[in-house]
Amino acid sequence: MNLAEGVQIVSFGLLGLAMIGAALGVVLLQNIVYSAFLLGGVFISISGLYLLLNADFVAAAQVLIYVGAVNVLILFAIMLVNKQEDFDPIIGRWVRQGATALVCFGLFSLLGVMVLQTSWSSSTSGAKPAVDTTVLLGEHFFSDFLLPFELASVLLLMALVGAIVIARREYLPEEIVSPQQQPPLTLPERARQPIAISAGTSSSPQSTSE
Amino acid sequence: MTPGIDLQQRFIETLRDLGLPQGVAKVAWLPLPMILIIIGATLGVLVTVWLERKISAAAQQRIGPEFAGPLGILQAVADGLKLVFKADIVPAKADPWLFTLAPVIVVFPAFLSYLIVPFGQNLLISNVGIGIFLWISLSSIAPIGLMMAGYSSNNKYSLLGGLRAVAQSISYEVPLALAVLAVVMMSNSLSTIDIVEQQSGYGILGWNVWRQPIGLILFWIAALAETERLPFDLPEAEEELVAGYQTEYSGMKFGLFYVASYVNLVLSALLASILYFGGWDFPIPLTVVSGWLSINETGPIFQIVVASLGITMTLLKAYFFVFLAILLRWTVPRVRIDQLLDLGWKFLLPIGLVNLLLTAGLKLAFPFAFGG
Amino acid sequence: MLNFLSKVTGYAQETVQAARYIGQGLSVTFDHMRRRPVTVQYPYEKLIPSERFRGRIHFEFDKCISCEVCVRVCPINLPVVDWEYNKESKKKQLKHYSIDFGVCIFCANCVEYCPTNCLSVTEEYELATYDRHELNFDSVAMGRLPYKVTEDPAVTPLRELAYLPEGVMDPHGVPQTVRRAGQRPEEILEQMEVPEKKPAGQKAEASSSKETQE
Repeated sequence: MNLAEGVQIVSFGLLGLAMIGAALGVVLLQNIVYSAFLLGGVFISISGLYLLLNADFVAAAQVLIYVGAVNVLILFAIMLVNKQEDFDPIIGRWVRQGATALVCFGLFSLLGVMVLQTSWSSSTSGAKPAVDTTVLLGEHFFSDFLLPFELASVLLLMALVGAIVIARREYLPEEIVSPQQQPPLTLPERARQPIAISAGTSSSPQSTSE
Repeated sequence: MTPGIDLQQRFIETLRDLGLPQGVAKVAWLPLPMILIIIGATLGVLVTVWLERKISAAAQQRIGPEFAGPLGILQAVADGLKLVFKADIVPAKADPWLFTLAPVIVVFPAFLSYLIVPFGQNLLISNVGIGIFLWISLSSIAPIGLMMAGYSSNNKYSLLGGLRAVAQSISYEVPLALAVLAVVMMSNSLSTIDIVEQQSGYGILGWNVWRQPIGLILFWIAALAETERLPFDLPEAEEELVAGYQTEYSGMKFGLFYVASYVNLVLSALLASILYFGGWDFPIPLTVVSGWLSINETGPIFQIVVASLGITMTLLKAYFFVFLAILLRWTVPRVRIDQLLDLGWKFLLPIGLVNLLLTAGLKLAFPFAFGG
Repeated sequence: MLNFLSKVTGYAQETVQAARYIGQGLSVTFDHMRRRPVTVQYPYEKLIPSERFRGRIHFEFDKCISCEVCVRVCPINLPVVDWEYNKESKKKQLKHYSIDFGVCIFCANCVEYCPTNCLSVTEEYELATYDRHELNFDSVAMGRLPYKVTEDPAVTPLRELAYLPEGVMDPHGVPQTVRRAGQRPEEILEQMEVPEKKPAGQKAEASSSKETQE
């Protein structure tokens, strides 16, 4: 075993420990803010594992998207809805906890069996690590993974449009609409004039866009 | 292009000549660039702090630091020492763990990003393939630290400052990445070395400024917002939020935030010089100069001169951007938080997209000039 | 469509204008950088206070007749005059006099109204102490005269802007012998006395120009 392999094994062990410890912390800690911060630790450990697997672009993307965006979003949500609330003790809580533990243990054992039964020694020795991972990733995205890639982008576009629709809604109905009057699958909002696209009515887009 | 000096190879060869095995020689090399870059970054911070104070003073017709060393050069060192020796106070109702962890999380990625800053052909720690993308992804970790600081201080101003910092850095990461992407598209690589290589060869005429003027402005505005410099220093807006997320910090923990902000500023300036001003490239192509002076290009003295000239050029360009940032600080008034987000999302983002589209179109139309 | 295009051009024009304004601001800041600093490096250099400077108040114990005019004209009735009626001489006898300079606003109304001129203003303005009660000066403390800036060997005295020669903006290195801009008060007096026939407008002009320099 030379130096590089030793470093690899040690860092794998450290990253694995950090990841499992942080993940357990996310689940077990009472304070939700701690959980959210530890989730960032889990994501960073995962990106470290990607680095060990020579997937540097995926590792950086993991940090950028999961730590920089998803985790921050979760934190933002927690910080902005920081309402102190005392929860009533739930009767028979141990049943729920036991059920959760059972499910978790079942999942774990299933995965463990899967790990033990898979033959992992497939061509790890002969394959050389890719030099330019970004190029390879791009080629895959635009050849054999084109459909999932495009589907994901369409999904993101839909999410974006939905977010804009929710954000631009003027949530101040002037008169209270009773639930019976409300057309189904709509949210209460002020009646909006349709935006005039034709030229000449330059004042109406101004008033509606506000 | 000549390969330039490969210090690592020379060092390892020298050690091997002394009788050490290959592995040990490599191990002996490993910490050297890291230590060098940490010291370099810290020195860069000290110089920047001194420059900031002197230039600010000059812009306001003051003198600035004067008594600590000649021209007050040691003032930043004195301030740093003072911070080291100050009492480390954790507020009574603060969360001590997160409170301590937050400055570390903010500082760490800033220093780590120096991995990819090249000062010459082989003068960087590691030429990772993802280069500039590593910087973008690393800089997205810092907001977590800021939010941690804001939350753990148990102070309303701190929390507001932390939230503002996060909102700001998330929204300005997008135009920053778009501006970088346009450059990357022209050089066909994310590696900082390749980006500079692609600009070199024609001296000052080959630099990306001429091909990406909009990108440069975009990048610089976004970088100023990312580093929370005036006019975008809303997270610590002292008129409104006392000092934002650093309100409760003192001593070395505050010092870490301070260092991180200046490291980020220098880093942004370095990257601006690499992406748009040709990095270590001399304004006149050095091969032409050596042709005039009829010097052998492969001679060791020429190589050393080229390497030191490269470092000087990179630093000069970077400190030009630092100077610009300081000048902007005393010129432009601070924006409001809604104006800030408006500027980011409604102005910089569309411009960035248009710039990207324009670059792509120009690349297809003129592949010789825009990197085919 | 045209509407949209005109909107885009308007937006672009606004952007260009904003960029131009920022450029203008930058050039102003840059221009300021090459100007000389106007700093007075305080503990080593001090400005010479003007003749009308109202600093800490000086008090002469023996001149005081305990009339308490100073208390009455003071906006906050600050001076404390402690006297006793002396039956033999049938006069008020002053025992203690004090002013708290932590509260005083240095309007010098007391100096203006003092019938015996026992109060006067000094040039002293360095009244920093570690305890605010130390600023409550009694008659002994008020009787001390401050150091003159011009006589302190550790201090480089600098002239204020109005006392500099004409056209000079920087007080550093201006020799003591060079006269200030404009006329001195005695010269103005001479002018007023000798040519009696001089029109009044010019006198007013001279005095007003002096006042603006102050």
